[in-house]
Amino acid sequence: MSQPRSTPHGLPTHLDIGWAAPPGATTQRDAGHGWNTLWDPAAGQGGVASATGSRQALCLWLPTFELRLELVRSPALDTTSVALLAPGESTRRTLWQVSERAHDAGVRPGQLISQAVSLCPSLTLLEPDPAHYDAAVDAMLEVLGELTPVVEPAGRGRVFLGMDGLGRLYGSPHRQAERALRSLFRVFPAPLVASTRAGMASGKFGAWVAAASGRPGEPVVVPDPDLSAFLGACPVSALPVDLVVIQRLERLGVATLGELRHLPEPSLVAQFGDTGRQALAWATGRRMDPVRPWHRPRPIRVSLDFPVPVGLTETLHGALDRLVERALSRPARRGRSVTAVRMGAHLEGSGSWFVETVLREPTAERDRIAAPLRAKMAIAPPPRAVETLILEFTRFGAPSAQTLLFDRKEEAGRVLSGQDLARGEVPISLKDAVKELKLRLGHSPLYRVVEVDPWSRIPERRHALLNFDP
Amino acid sequence: MSDAPHLRPLGRPRPVDVRTDENGEPRYVRLPGKTARKVEAVRDAWRIDDEWWRAPISREYRAVVLDDGRPLTLYHDLLDGRWYAQKGE
Repeated sequence: MSQPRSTPHGLPTHLDIGWAAPPGATTQRDAGHGWNTLWDPAAGQGGVASATGSRQALCLWLPTFELRLELVRSPALDTTSVALLAPGESTRRTLWQVSERAHDAGVRPGQLISQAVSLCPSLTLLEPDPAHYDAAVDAMLEVLGELTPVVEPAGRGRVFLGMDGLGRLYGSPHRQAERALRSLFRVFPAPLVASTRAGMASGKFGAWVAAASGRPGEPVVVPDPDLSAFLGACPVSALPVDLVVIQRLERLGVATLGELRHLPEPSLVAQFGDTGRQALAWATGRRMDPVRPWHRPRPIRVSLDFPVPVGLTETLHGALDRLVERALSRPARRGRSVTAVRMGAHLEGSGSWFVETVLREPTAERDRIAAPLRAKMAIAPPPRAVETLILEFTRFGAPSAQTLLFDRKEEAGRVLSGQDLARGEVPISLKDAVKELKLRLGHSPLYRVVEVDPWSRIPERRHALLNFDP
Repeated sequence: MSDAPHLRPLGRPRPVDVRTDENGEPRYVRLPGKTARKVEAVRDAWRIDDEWWRAPISREYRAVVLDDGRPLTLYHDLLDGRWYAQKGE
């Protein structure tokens, strides 16, 4: 049976996998398709290969993925102390990921640049290049998608593969894991593949812990009968719960999942709420999160090349407006509103920059899309002049314009301050909506609040509802 | 259904069961379909006498706070002797 090993590359601490990244950095725990989204309670229903996902999970994990990609790109840096800067901050930049040499010198993720340089004067600092990292992830997912249809990314350096039913195709679980690792040679150079860890077990948690406890390039396979004992030896820091919960457990002397199991569930719930119950379910192996196939709608991407690199904010704002208009007019966007957008740039010299935002409500209006991006740009501006500005609509919503019908600010609604429903100035969109409702229901179900005697001492005489049928 | 404009007053009073103390102040209130609640405090009181020329209105209002923290406006109809809850003060 496989046992978690306490090697220097044993189970990750929060620093090892970048959870100590500063605000603004994309971390494993807060990435949009990352940690928290993977362990939602609704996913807790196990079951053999079904529409809800694959029970048998293979986790491939490449720690400090982004930094390793930089080292592959510039092999000369491999012999030096290197740190990757956290993206998205203009002042008081901090470190995101650090190389082993830098770590040995006392440099840690989350440190200020000044602190890090004072600890390690020869430290080489690198600007992050998110476009490069995302391209590497896309290439990896494409290759793994040929191995199994159930591929679920969990942050940039980690991916879960659903392996239910693939035994006859690829052989034993160990062979399946090795095959997955070997397939990475098609997109990554050998040093990167050699650093990848693989773990296979029932459910994503078991697979993740197996991968994290193994040595790079040596898959750890945990059979179902051994899973409970395997998990029991793992430290509580493996639990996908808030760091505060883990710290409290450790202060209480609960070091391993095996020790956690001995605590009564009511006590855990009393101390940690529902998180306590979840932690116990993971520790006992009761909870099996299946791997779910990841669906990502094809983004709409538009870009603008500047003849000379641009650093002026006003010029970038103007270019952003043009890009939003172009993206909105794409045939692929029609009939859909936009719920998430991403703006990026290729920077002068090299490197890239990205900001992304989830819109407060689905929209297909230029200003509503551009405004939050401008705000993000003000907080985290491009560090250098921009050669190419890129805009992506990454998530989409329903085409409904219902929310705008009564909006005073929008042309679809009661617009144009000055117009008033009471004066019979009803926008066409609202008239159409009422007409449609009357056709369906036989009457207009809309009402308008009208003042009858607003200063009356008798409350029921002040306001009334009046049928609204323009 | 008729297409004629139809007015529906807002804030119409709803009858409630009220148990009062010896001074006639509300102590317990039971809203329709709910369990009885203790009146924790009376925040305000006022009286309305109006429309004596057609259908006279005579009400003693109490703005109260229930024991679950909810504010409620009640009135005692001095003509029919019943208690009502009403939105709007």
